[in-house]
Amino acid sequence: MKSSIKRAGVTLACALGLAACGGGDGDLYLTGTLYNVTADGMVLQNNGGDDLAIVAGQSDFQFGNRVSTDDQFNVTVKTPPNNSSGCTVQNGKARANYYTIAQISVICTIRTHTITVAVNGLKPTSSGLILVNGSDKQEVPAGATSQVMAPVYEDGPYGITIFQNPTDSATGTKQTCTVSGGDTGTGTGTVKSIDIDRTVVVTCV
Amino acid sequence: MKFSLARGAIALAATLTLASCGGGKATFPINVNVTGVIYPGLVLSTNGQDLVINPPAKAGDPVNAVFPNEIEYGQTYDVIPKGQVSTSTAVVLGQNPKHQTCSPATEYPYNLPTYGTAGQLASIQIYYVCAINTYPLTGVVKGLTTDGLVLTNGSNGAISVAKAVDASSVATGADVAFAMNPVVYNNTYGVTVLTQPTGQTCTVANGVGTMDDAAEAAGGVTNLVVTCQ
Repeated sequence: MKSSIKRAGVTLACALGLAACGGGDGDLYLTGTLYNVTADGMVLQNNGGDDLAIVAGQSDFQFGNRVSTDDQFNVTVKTPPNNSSGCTVQNGKARANYYTIAQISVICTIRTHTITVAVNGLKPTSSGLILVNGSDKQEVPAGATSQVMAPVYEDGPYGITIFQNPTDSATGTKQTCTVSGGDTGTGTGTVKSIDIDRTVVVTCV
Repeated sequence: MKFSLARGAIALAATLTLASCGGGKATFPINVNVTGVIYPGLVLSTNGQDLVINPPAKAGDPVNAVFPNEIEYGQTYDVIPKGQVSTSTAVVLGQNPKHQTCSPATEYPYNLPTYGTAGQLASIQIYYVCAINTYPLTGVVKGLTTDGLVLTNGSNGAISVAKAVDASSVATGADVAFAMNPVVYNNTYGVTVLTQPTGQTCTVANGVGTMDDAAEAAGGVTNLVVTCQ
């Protein structure tokens, strides 16, 4: 109860202070933390204006125009980063004070894409072919002509390698498989803005 | 306002009375909640008691358990993996699950201290979280004399490798050590060249495998060799 009286007092004082100095450019910088900004193109806004461009790799932001104590601010994402499907703002809408101006965070979701690897020459009797993309491990069924790997982040790297060659159960001999295609010609590259569909090729002989 | 003050005073008085006449709780059970347990081997310990935490019947479930003996009001407790010692010179992790390391929860609202005095809080509830260990994946690049080499472990992270230079910044072609992102126990790895250095071609040997028991025992995989020509 006492505290609420005090709070009212503070608010009143603030209001008077604002009125006195015209409520224009204040002395508080609106700041926050960014997560998963790995590409250019992001633009933040405060109250629908004051555009702030964010570049790849940035982990925090600060708006150019300062705000005054008790000003209403509302931080929104005008454009997400080029490789993002969207961003959410936390604690983005409040009245400005020393606490609230530093509690804003913006979390972006990076788009993912599917890698489908084309498989040539794998005999219907050959089983045990295992492909890996780092920690993603996929066993290719006998006779398959393609294999879908786990989704990967846009702009991130990939590198398909043979973890284990298949064995032909009809003859008991191993087939030998090699990886080609991708950006490097050896099954490695950078994930673009579309699915990687059969540009990486595994050939078994 | 006056009323609420009075109510608070009465409540306080009541509590004091209770405590003074011995009506308070005499002993406290030490409750434990552990998440992320996948492998057996975790033994938690406090006040001379041990508590074995086995993996849950259903993967992903938390394990709830209580130490065998309750402790008295005012007794201190400090729940740690059995044998854990941390000094300025050495850290002994204690009896953790195989391939895992457990530590006090850090996420709200489970980030409560794992030590204290019985009676500080209404009840004693300990939260631990276990994570699977990761191990280094390292190697050496031979013959690198130009810029631009980038290695990647699938989609688990790429690194740039700079050429070795002498005091006057001339490339020497000396061996360069590199470390990929650490690999989680039992995960596969597959290291390839994402970008070739200018004018050179590099190939990776020993680049594919699993961070298995042997690798864990050896403290990681250290035999990657990238040869550039």
